Amino acid sequence: MTEMTTESTVYVTYIATTPEKLWAALTASEFTRQYFFNRTVESDWNTGSPWILRMPDGRVDIKGEVRESDPPRKLVVTWNVDWIAEKLPEAIVSYEIEPVGGGVVRLTMTEAHPTPIPAYLLEGGRKGWPMILCGLKSLLETGKPLNIPVPQPPKEPGK
Amino acid sequence: MSKFVYAIYIRTTAEKLWDALTNPEFTRSYWCGTRHECIWEPGSPWRLMIPDGRVGDSGEVVAIERPRRLVLLWRNEFMPELRAEGYSRATFEIEPVGDTVRLTLTHEIDRERSKLIDGVSNGWPAILSSLKSFLETGDALDLTRHWPENL
Repeated sequence: MTEMTTESTVYVTYIATTPEKLWAALTASEFTRQYFFNRTVESDWNTGSPWILRMPDGRVDIKGEVRESDPPRKLVVTWNVDWIAEKLPEAIVSYEIEPVGGGVVRLTMTEAHPTPIPAYLLEGGRKGWPMILCGLKSLLETGKPLNIPVPQPPKEPGK
Repeated sequence: MSKFVYAIYIRTTAEKLWDALTNPEFTRSYWCGTRHECIWEPGSPWRLMIPDGRVGDSGEVVAIERPRRLVLLWRNEFMPELRAEGYSRATFEIEPVGDTVRLTLTHEIDRERSKLIDGVSNGWPAILSSLKSFLETGDALDLTRHWPENL
């Protein structure tokens, strides 16, 4: 029996930037391709609009809908992995941006799973988000992204 | 068991990260003005000193392997409610990945719903984000340059 879970993954990072610059870095391909494993994003980022995360070879990686868009404070999107043969339940990814003073903003990323998913799949986000968001922080603070190899997708235990 | 795990990727070397974590000259820049008192040998006592002279946390070096792994026994000393929870364990692991190093911090205690782990879950992301800024830009984040007022 595969172990199922509805656990969320949360990652918090503090960045020396402005909420506006962080919002732009999350929603514009000129930035995402530098820290999000070379991926681009497509959306008008209005509530209810579709959004896509596209792989460098043109395939769709993730697609979904913008659930909540309050620039430059909060962005909530639905998250459907498009390339995997067996369809997974939809996840919800939220970014919350809060200024904490002294020219620093706190970014809180939450990957929530309202519908249970096989627990081993959480590893993908738990490995990937720190890489992505650390690259984002470096890009905003130093102008230079990190060079981290793309991680392999999680494997089902015993397979 | 209560547990907090946090991974952070920093453009630096394992040695520089190790020094930034353990050398008071560096910790006072990004870790709220605190400094370690420790000779960094297995079994040696360890204390984290608050700038006003109070002891913030204390414990012991459980394992040390420069620049890869450090395990500390860790008890809060300045908040009675947290001190009463006794010793937790903080493990720092450093591994090179691409042009960065990954620091993985695991802070755990053998009790359910620990207030200490709640507290450090809020504190570590700020301190480690500031450590990353410090190593990559030379400047810590304003947020963690000084000991917080009222604490």
